[in-house]
Amino acid sequence: MWSYMIRRILQAIPTLLVISFLIFSLLYITPGDPVELIFGTEDQSLSEEQRQIIMEEWGLDQPFLIRYKNFVFNALQGDLGTSYATGQPVFESVIERMPATFTLAAFAMVLSLLISVPLGMLAALKHNSIWDSLATALATIGVSLPKFWFGLVLMIYFSLKWGLLPSTGSADLMTDGPVEFLKHIIMPGSALALGMAATQTRMIRSSMLDVLGQDYVRYARSKGLKEKAVIWGHAFKNAMIPVITVIGSEIGGLLGGAVVTESIFSWPGVGRLAVNSISKRDYPMIQGITLLLCTSYLLINLLVDIVYAWVDPRIRLDKKS
Amino acid sequence: MEKEREKDFEFEDEISLPVTSYWKDVVRRFCKNRIAVLGLILLTIIVVLCAGAPLFTRYDPVMDMDLMNMLTPPGDREHPLGTDDLGRDIWCRLLYGGRSSLLTGLSVAAFAAVIGVTIGLYSGYFGGIVESLLMRFTDIMLSFPFLIVAIAIMSVLGSSQKNIIMTLAITSWPRFARLTRGQVLSVKNMEYVESARVAGFKDVRILFRHVLPNCIGPLIIQGTLAVGSAILSAASLNYLGLGADAAAPDWGMMLSQGKNYLQLAPYLTTIPGIAISITVLSMNWIGDGLRDAFDPKMRK
Repeated sequence: MWSYMIRRILQAIPTLLVISFLIFSLLYITPGDPVELIFGTEDQSLSEEQRQIIMEEWGLDQPFLIRYKNFVFNALQGDLGTSYATGQPVFESVIERMPATFTLAAFAMVLSLLISVPLGMLAALKHNSIWDSLATALATIGVSLPKFWFGLVLMIYFSLKWGLLPSTGSADLMTDGPVEFLKHIIMPGSALALGMAATQTRMIRSSMLDVLGQDYVRYARSKGLKEKAVIWGHAFKNAMIPVITVIGSEIGGLLGGAVVTESIFSWPGVGRLAVNSISKRDYPMIQGITLLLCTSYLLINLLVDIVYAWVDPRIRLDKKS
Repeated sequence: MEKEREKDFEFEDEISLPVTSYWKDVVRRFCKNRIAVLGLILLTIIVVLCAGAPLFTRYDPVMDMDLMNMLTPPGDREHPLGTDDLGRDIWCRLLYGGRSSLLTGLSVAAFAAVIGVTIGLYSGYFGGIVESLLMRFTDIMLSFPFLIVAIAIMSVLGSSQKNIIMTLAITSWPRFARLTRGQVLSVKNMEYVESARVAGFKDVRILFRHVLPNCIGPLIIQGTLAVGSAILSAASLNYLGLGADAAAPDWGMMLSQGKNYLQLAPYLTTIPGIAISITVLSMNWIGDGLRDAFDPKMRK
């Protein structure tokens, strides 16, 4: 188990390095002079001397690779530079907003499982029935809708037409109570959960059908076990194994989708910060957000893999994969 | 005895099925799948409507602003789907906008396929250190949350339709590379490939004449699904304001403009969204149908 964990963590390091390198190069090739972007105002430009001093102070006159090295070392110490727009440190600004994004993502994840597990199981257990067709059709439609559009449609009906739910903002579970919290999170959460629930439904259905055809399920049935015991005791757990892997990789889509969803519902998370930073051309902020979201995605996947290997010994024993 | 035997032969001849080629079989299985055929019909209608846009509307999507009839709701005699905030006909913008969305989807899938298949073929066939490096890189690319990376790239490249296509192609080739490599690995040790090698054919010829055609099924499926997901991603990027200039008709742009009129004119948002959904849905139906058609064993 330890060797598996160490191997998995070592694998994550080059990935992080490549990500940071790509993100850093992106900023490097960005058109426009950073000094001008921060200090230059429209009526007055900086003198050549002032510019030189700032360039030296910030290390902007160094060659590319040295700047990259500095970037990595600073990032390791939690310093991702300063926002062009607000003058605040990037790292703190992003970390501050992480909890809101993670709350939304976690809510969407739970919601999608609440939809997809019963639906996928129903489709598999009533294979080739009307329920199966219905669940499959729903899943295909769910994959095909633009998530943000679904969010907008929800907003049109539930907030603007019927006035049932607040259209924007968030509420804190502790201070505002669970009702307010749910009222605020249900729409952005559903918009985010839609695509994932659809993918998972298809996945659970096919994985369950696969397992139901296995010999050990036939054996469990033939030794006279009740259908309930066969399905929940023998089939379900095994069917969920491939599903868990998919869920791990879906987290990336979840974080990406959050960017758009948050901007629709004015959810105070990282995604909205990203959209605002794009319109202000606040490159260090975009860089920091991308790096931190990619890192957290990697860490979550690492965690999923380790939990997964712990649950299923076959994975950690399979050296090469 | 002899006669009996002859009879047997005749009998066998009668029950043997007519010989059908692989592709005929694929087409036959696809046509049996009603939902897949429905998807194909829907998509054909959409493509015809968009490609022949001027035939189906008498307005211009950008220039014709009916300023007397701004924000007309759908159901109007002059404007069946209503008009937008500048009095432009929505049906007309929908048709022209479809051109842009479909073209984006197709170009992204095509670019991604060319890059991905080349890398996949190369690393799958030749192997060695280049292979492991390429695949490591592919895995890393696959492990990015891709919409976030796309947004980061777009914010640097600047907003335009061309940059959207480029960005989405950059972020979607790894799937093709993984898929191709897997296929090549399973095909390259087949006897027909070995015999081609023994016959002294060049690697390039073997790759394109013998290996690639046998990997094509899964690639076509992946291509179909990639067009759909590229249309969805492009709509997201357009919605965030990273797309082309606001005047040019595009489904994503239309959605993005509609968001300012959610209360007053919700149809500005719902209509292009429905267009995107139907297009992507028919793509997915076709993709699912192709999957069953190419690989009947996969059918569940």
